[in-house]
This record gives sequence, C-alpha cells and structure tokens, in this order.
Amino acid sequence: MRVLLVLSLALGCAFLVSCDDQTTADKAVEKGILIFGNSSEPQGLDPQLVSGVLESNIIRALFEGLCVEHPSENGTALPGAAKSWEHNDDFTVWTFHLGEDRTWSDGNPVTTLDFLFSYERMLTPKLAAEYAEMLYYIKGAEDFHKAKTTDFNEVGVKALDDFTLEITLRGSLPFLPEITKHYTWYPVPRHVILRENEGDIADPDSGWTMPGKLISNGPFTLKSWRINDHIEVERNPHYWDAAQVKLNGIRFLPVNNTYTESRMFFDGLMHVTYTLPPELIPYANENYPDEVRSELYLGTKFIRCNVTREVLKDVRVRKALALALDRESLINNVLRGGQQPTYGMVPPFGNYKTPRSVEFDKEKARQLLVEAGYDGTTKKFPVLKLLTTDRDVAKRLAEAYQGMWAQNLGISVEIEQKEWTSYLVAQTNLDYDLADAGWIGDYLDPTTFLDMWIEGGGNNRTGWFDKDFEKLLKDSEHVPDAGERLKVLQSAEEILMSEIPAIPIYWYTTNYIIDKRVKGWSPLLLNNHPFKFISLETNTE
Amino acid sequence: MTSSEPQPEFARGTSLWMDAWHRLRQNKVAVGSGIFLILMLLLCFVAAWFMADPNIQNLDNKFSSSSGAHWLGTDQMGRDLLSRILYGGQLSLVVGLTATAVAFCIGILYGAVSGYTGGRIDATMMRLVDVLYAIPFLVLIILLQQLFDAKAGEASAWIIEKLNIEKQTTQKTIRRISNVVPLLVAISALGWLTLARITRAQVLSMKQQEFTQAARSLGLSPMRILLRHIIPNTLGPSIVYVTLTVPGFIMYEATLSFLGLGIKAPNSSWGVLIKDGANFMETQPMLLILPGLFFTSTLFAFNFLGDGLRDALDPKAAKD
Repeated sequence: MRVLLVLSLALGCAFLVSCDDQTTADKAVEKGILIFGNSSEPQGLDPQLVSGVLESNIIRALFEGLCVEHPSENGTALPGAAKSWEHNDDFTVWTFHLGEDRTWSDGNPVTTLDFLFSYERMLTPKLAAEYAEMLYYIKGAEDFHKAKTTDFNEVGVKALDDFTLEITLRGSLPFLPEITKHYTWYPVPRHVILRENEGDIADPDSGWTMPGKLISNGPFTLKSWRINDHIEVERNPHYWDAAQVKLNGIRFLPVNNTYTESRMFFDGLMHVTYTLPPELIPYANENYPDEVRSELYLGTKFIRCNVTREVLKDVRVRKALALALDRESLINNVLRGGQQPTYGMVPPFGNYKTPRSVEFDKEKARQLLVEAGYDGTTKKFPVLKLLTTDRDVAKRLAEAYQGMWAQNLGISVEIEQKEWTSYLVAQTNLDYDLADAGWIGDYLDPTTFLDMWIEGGGNNRTGWFDKDFEKLLKDSEHVPDAGERLKVLQSAEEILMSEIPAIPIYWYTTNYIIDKRVKGWSPLLLNNHPFKFISLETNTE
Repeated sequence: MTSSEPQPEFARGTSLWMDAWHRLRQNKVAVGSGIFLILMLLLCFVAAWFMADPNIQNLDNKFSSSSGAHWLGTDQMGRDLLSRILYGGQLSLVVGLTATAVAFCIGILYGAVSGYTGGRIDATMMRLVDVLYAIPFLVLIILLQQLFDAKAGEASAWIIEKLNIEKQTTQKTIRRISNVVPLLVAISALGWLTLARITRAQVLSMKQQEFTQAARSLGLSPMRILLRHIIPNTLGPSIVYVTLTVPGFIMYEATLSFLGLGIKAPNSSWGVLIKDGANFMETQPMLLILPGLFFTSTLFAFNFLGDGLRDALDPKAAKD
C-alpha cells in the first residue's frame, strides 16, 4: 500500500512538473546560466592538488593562467593574466608581462608575488602535489621538489618587478604558453592562503577553497558548493575582461551515471553533458541529430599495472595481459564512439609517429604467460583485482576486459568499483593490482603522455621507472630541431612500451550532447573550452 | 491391527497445523503462488545448472533476439539473458531465504528468552533492540558490507586452497556464493529485530496461561517450557511475518545491487540485471522488462503466499 502511495505521489509530481512547459534548461538560458554535466564530485578545487579533467572544468572557470585557450583554434594562446610575453632565441628564457588591471575577485591586484608563491607552494614537497612535475620544465624545480635544495631562489622563476615575471627553463620549450594554460601553472591567491593556513605555505588542507572563502582571478567566482548536488559559479565583477564574459554563471552537476545524465539532457535539465554513453548514441543520432557531437580528443585509455605486485613484476605477464585484449571488438561493440585502437601510448597527431608496439594476439599472449611460468600446472595465476570507477560505462569496460582475459588467457580477474576520490587514493597508494585509467593530454605535445611515467611522478602510480627512458626525455629538451626531437621521444616511447607498465587500450574521442543555444563552443583537441567566450542564445526561433 | 471395532470418527482431532493447511488449500491465490514459487526455485536451482555459463561473453552477438541458442536473447555483452536471470535468481533467492532463516532463528530465541525471563534482563535485551532499531538499516548494511567484503574474498580463496578444489565450475560457484556472504551477514544481523518483538509479546501472554503454569508446576526446566510449550505456540504469527520478510530482503539485495554495492560483476542478481537493464531502457527495453518480470512476479508470489498463510494461521485477523 505504501508503495502504491509513493508511486502515485511520484506520478502526481511528474504530472505537476510537466504542466509547466518551460524546462529547467529554458529557465537557465533566460538567466544566462549554463548547466554543465560534470561526471563526478571533484577531488577538490585547489588547482595545485587535483589532477582530473572534471576538476579542470571548474577550475578553468574560476582561475586564469598566464595565457588563455583560444575558443576555436588549437594551439593558440590568448593573453590571460599576462598581457604579453616574449622569449629568447632558443626558447629557454621567457618573460611574461602581467596586466596591471588583473585583480583577484576581492579586488587585490594579481602580481608576480602571487606567481612566485604559487610555484613555490606547488613545488614544496610537504604539499605533496600530485601534478608537481608539470613545473619540472622550470630550471631547478625538480631539485627543489625532491628536496635536493631548499632555497627557492635557485628555481628559475624571478620577479623583475611587480608585473614582470621571468621564467628560466631547464631546456628549450617552444610551446611554454600552451603549458601555462594548464591549471598547475595558475596563480593561487597568496594573501588568502597565508591567512587561512596561518602562514604555512604548504598546508595541504585547502580550507581556502570553501564557498565564501575562495578568491579567484578567473572570469567567474565560486557561488555555492553542495557536495554531490552542484557547484555553481557566478560572474566575477572584478575580472579584467568582464565585458567579454557573456554567461552570468555556470552550474556544474556531478552526475555519475552517464545514462541518467543524457536523460537529464533529453528532459531539458542540462545544456552540455560530460559524455554520451555508447548505447544512447544511436538513439541520440535519431532524435537529437543537431545536438550530438563526436570529436577527436587528445587522450589515451589504459590499464595501470602495479608493478610492485609479485605477478605483475614480470614484464611477460604485463605483455600477455596487453596482447589478450581485442581492442577492435571492444570499440565496435562496447564503446561505439569512433575511438581508435591503440598500438602505443601517445595518440598520433602532428608529425609524431607512434611506434607500433602492442596489438591483439591471443596466441602470443598465451605463450608469454606460459613462458612466465603460468602453464596451469606448476604455478597458479592468482586472482587479480581490477580497480575501476563506479560509473556504469567503466563497469561494462571492466567486464569486457574480464571476459577477454578469462577467454583468451584463462585467468580470473575480480572487478573492484570505487567512488572517484577513493579510486584516485587507491592508485596513489599503489593499493591495487590493475587499474582502469586514462590520460587526457594537457597540451599539444607528445611529452604530455610521456613525462608522467618518470620515477616518483604523481601521476605515474604504477611503481615503474626506467633510467634510460628518463634520460631520453631529458635529452629531447636539448635537441633544437623539432623533427629530431620527436625521434628522441619516439625511442623513449619504445622503451616505455617494451616495459608496458600501463596497457594502452584506445585513443579517445569525445561524444556528448550540447544544447543548440550554446554559442561559442567549437571542437577543441583538448576539449578545454574557455568559458569566457561562451554564451547562451535566448531566442532560437 | 486387525481389530474389528470401528474407530469413532470424532476421536481424530485436527491439529492447528492441519486446520491451517486446510484453510490454506482453499485459498486459490496462495496455492497458485506456492506452486509458482516452487517452480521458480526449481528453475533457478535445478534448471540453471543445465544452462550456458552466464558469464561467457560474445561481444559480436550482443542484443540478439530470442533464438534456439539463447531463448531470451543476449544482453549488452552478448551473454545469455535467461541464464543470467536464472543464476541471478539463485543469488537473490539465497539472500532472501537464508537471511530470513537466520533472522527467524535469532529473532524467536531472543524474543522468547527476553519475554520469558522478564525483569531486568528483559529490559536490557529490549533496549538493545531499540538501539539497533535506531540505526539506519541501509547505512549499517553498507558499512558491514565494506567490512566483510575483503574477508569474504580471502575466505573463498582459503576454502578453495584448503579443500584443494580443482574443478573450475566448483571454484566459480564458491566465489559466486562468497559474493553474497557480506550481504547476508549484514541483512540477517539486523533483520531479526521486529521478529524478536513479536515473539516477546506473544511469550508474555503465553506465560500467564494455564498450560504454562501446569508445565511449571510439573517441575519442567525453563528451557524445556520455552522450547516445547511456548515457542511452538508462538510460531503462527512469526511464520506469517517471516513470509512477508523474504520479499523484503530480496528487495534489500536488489536495492544495494542497484546502488552498485551488492553483488560484484560479472555475477548477476535480479537487482544488478534491473540496474543494467535500466541503462538500455530507450534502445533495448527487454533487458529491463524480462528481469523485472521475474523479480516482480516472485515478490508478488511471496506476498500472496504470506497473505494466505496469515489467513490460515491466524483466522481472527483474516479479512473475510
């Protein structure tokens, strides 16, 4: 009886809602608020303590780096916190001129002091920033981060005056402006953090990112944050380019279930989805042909192997696991979003030729496993655990891997689903056997997919490292010729793939649905759409 | 016996149980439900053994419609849907029935002891029940589940190693069953509370009655009085309550699996199947409808049977 009552109440409510012909999305358009599907609750909002793509979406709205992404051109840097910049002949010393009119959302100016503070904070070992190696391009940064020196003056960042920042790099880096668009290079408010953390530069407790306390320098400021409900940002009145900002606010919804998310879009509750699940692609193509987008995306899906585990220490086992996965079938039957099967770690783009190193070959996979001693009689292959997120698509992928390994290698793998934050923690602590993961490029260069595998890198998370590999990466920074440099990187990737600490699966595409009224949103390889150029058109008729 | 003396008809008294059975048989819906449940049990626990392995996937044959090889078609991974539903039903029913059995034993003993001893012990025992009642059920289940999860995996690995089980299918079955152990522990740990209260109330009234006093004056031990004289007389209402908890527990399993906390992939239970099916609602509705049908019809049958049992065992409370 109670069930009936609840049902009829629910139906009644649904009826009441449907009587109102204006959807939530329509109302939000009138108010100039973009509703953005953002997959999960973020790990945090401290730009120096996060590493995910979903966090970057929020942080990109709140903060601004030296340079800003162009709304439609890949690899073009627009002035952000810096109004102009120049470099020396071999791209090793860069000078950024900060705009005098750039302020924090509390009206204080953004100065070189903030940048020096940010880089020092990020590199202070005690903060344990997972992404600190993004700053290793700066001369001396690595030594400081690894506590080989404690004097920050030895790190190659200098304030020539309040508004002139000089950055000396460890090698030549022609694409530094691209890197400064990344959130690890963003300034954080020195005055606020020092006040909140009582002068401690590297207190990882980021109380300063709470609503009401968070001060940012981007086009938007944090308005409200309700865990597992929404994060809303509103227009920043102190933003230097406020005239350009068209949106009054953005509401980020942490909707884990991609099916629910898409249905929310179909029901007019959202403007942009984080993704479109494979099974709904045909449905959406038929019913929402103008809203569906399928775009190239610079990213690689892979499975991390915890090489500190006894079984996975053996490279033959890792290789067997890699060869036993039928990537074509996975893409055609499970993903169906036009992804590319991988044969290496770095997605092929520009002039970089990814070495062909892994392909589906179950015979060879089985043979490798036998060579490693697991021939079914002497040594028993243990049951490994495959760590993945709690999203439904992740579960289906994991089931597909599980089935392929069972059928092609005869080994059993258990699936362990964890919620996003504990999933990340488990990987960082090497508390897993295999982990389903992915990496989205941070800038348009192969190094964004290679640098992460260095020893102690916060995003390595496999326990694997190799001196030759690291040496090649370092060497590449001193090769002035662009073509030669890529060749050095290719041989580095060959080392990485012969050791295979992570099993590459496919190269991403991004599939999502977006409301026709959202303007200023063009396909971008990194999918980092700058919110300041996006607007909502009110009358489509 | 060759006695020629005819036995008088009226001498054969009918027991409470015979009366109940007689009344139950008259209730067509309840009998139908009972038969349906027996069939469902046979399907899930006997027929399933002759079905294909529910976890073998064939990605090229996903979403196929019903055919000779796959009677109800295949799911999103090309696995046989009927086999997944039946194997899923095993886990769902095992959870429902075992948790109920455990809850039944604990609940009756606890309630009876508490009611019969009375006084301070009774008060303490009942306050403990109140405390446990105050804990949100779902939250505690999730907590216990997390606690026992790793242990259950280790236990199953230990059993396989100690008993030296070679056969792959047996290994798989042990792993699959060990999957529901945390869930079982969690549900049965809290499922007995209401039953304890019901039994206690019954016992309180029974111990004032003449037959108990007679037993006591004969010098029987309290244990014997409880087990032989009081508890059998309280069983009626308890059984009625229990039949209604079975679907409740199956529901809990489904809820937890739906939230992604129950049975682990690739194993199925009805809750898991319904959750997965819901994702394909627009494109492949059968993946939601078929497991949903099995699930709801079984729950309905349990409820109707429970209803019928109540009418049979407790005629005073009957509607008609």
